[in-house]
Amino acid sequence: MTANTLVHSKLVCVALNDKSQLTALEGTFNEAPYKKPPTQPVLYYKPRNTWNVDGAEVEWAKDFDGSDVTAMAVGASLGVVIGRETCRVSQAEALDYVRGYTIVSDFSLPEENYFRPDIKGKCLDTSAPVGPEIVPADTIANPDALTVTIRVNEEQKSAFALADMQRSVAELISTISWIMTLQPGEIIAVGFAGDRVPVAQGDRVEATIEGVGTLTNTLGGA
Amino acid sequence: MRHARIIFDGRELDIDIDTNDRITTTDGEVLDVALDSNDITWLAPVKDPGTIFALGLNYADHATELSFEPPKEPLVFIKHANTLTGHKQVSYRPDNIEFQHYECELVAVIGKTGKNIRREDAMDYVAGYTVCNDFAIRDYLENYYRPNLRVKSRDSLLPMGPWIVDREDVADANNLRLTTEVNGKITQDGSTSDMIFDVPFLVEYLSKIMTLNPGDMIATGTPHGVVDMQPGDTVICTIENICSLETRIVSEKEYFGDKY
Repeated sequence: MTANTLVHSKLVCVALNDKSQLTALEGTFNEAPYKKPPTQPVLYYKPRNTWNVDGAEVEWAKDFDGSDVTAMAVGASLGVVIGRETCRVSQAEALDYVRGYTIVSDFSLPEENYFRPDIKGKCLDTSAPVGPEIVPADTIANPDALTVTIRVNEEQKSAFALADMQRSVAELISTISWIMTLQPGEIIAVGFAGDRVPVAQGDRVEATIEGVGTLTNTLGGA
Repeated sequence: MRHARIIFDGRELDIDIDTNDRITTTDGEVLDVALDSNDITWLAPVKDPGTIFALGLNYADHATELSFEPPKEPLVFIKHANTLTGHKQVSYRPDNIEFQHYECELVAVIGKTGKNIRREDAMDYVAGYTVCNDFAIRDYLENYYRPNLRVKSRDSLLPMGPWIVDREDVADANNLRLTTEVNGKITQDGSTSDMIFDVPFLVEYLSKIMTLNPGDMIATGTPHGVVDMQPGDTVICTIENICSLETRIVSEKEYFGDKY
């Protein structure tokens, strides 16, 4: 766990919140093992050993035999920082519980399927940088109007307009708050572009949201 | 020695319990109270809960009961501290569901930071053991990151405790009787010897993926015998030589009160 991470206690991420990804996978999701498309937000945790900060190195993962993995990928999301205890709130009041916004990068092994919890792919040490800072909620008029871009070695690889999310920021806060009570400082990464960006050892990755900042990290292992 | 966290006489205390059931605070104060006293409010026993790993399908008989092939690799999911609650506390059953069941599980509590831990060294990283009840709301299963957070990560659905027993006081964690009683009737009766993946294996496996830290916990799965729970039911999960964990089920309305 990296010192001075911006996350307090919990970082919960929303998978499969990109409408175009859901459309592309519709056929797959009607077959085994899924059998039908998700009816609820698909959630996973980035646990505390993954938390990292702006400017820091992200470790290149190792296989079980101790050699470097052949591929990693990155997605980036708006991070919604909870401001006060949030338990069973409505969609209409959900944004009142937000203290501010930040950026979450999610470095993982390539996403192969969504059937079982992806502990091997998602729980890698230092793989969840959060930052560079938390901007106050009142500086962002409409979080669903933002766009998350990823640049690798100064070349833009991905742009995800949050308007293309299946579920809005307010809807997610509300739905999640009916599953679990959220506490001040906990962060929800609300959605990632369906196509994760491949990265290589030594790459410099910048995730940017206008008005929120740029989160910069370098892959280790070069 | 056993270790727990309680509220007693208006104070939140970290306590040690010796073989004579004598309670001493970490400041050395001896508390003149019996372990079964209603004056003690039990908290979940891990003071700074870290990552809580839980195993699905880790007993061959339970895997069969659920019509699955036993897994070739551990099925691990993560729960968060919002799920934790203590001995003799309540868990809630959501309204309008068909099937909520308990899962009595041995929990290994990590005591030391480690990465790439070898199986033969694994026990050095285990501080002790406790018992948890890993409730599941089966109605909410969907085939995405299954078992998903909506099934497993709800507030109060991971009672744990009452205490942690030091590792050196448990001769063989891989051969302990495990039982669950619902309203006084035994519904689950197994042995940790039936685990597919034992504690040393799991410590090695997880630490190859990620660094384990003190306060992390591994809930090791449950044998067959899961039955539905209803508000008003009392469930007691027991693992011999560790502890007995009692939980009362309440309705969603009773649990959330004003927030219902």
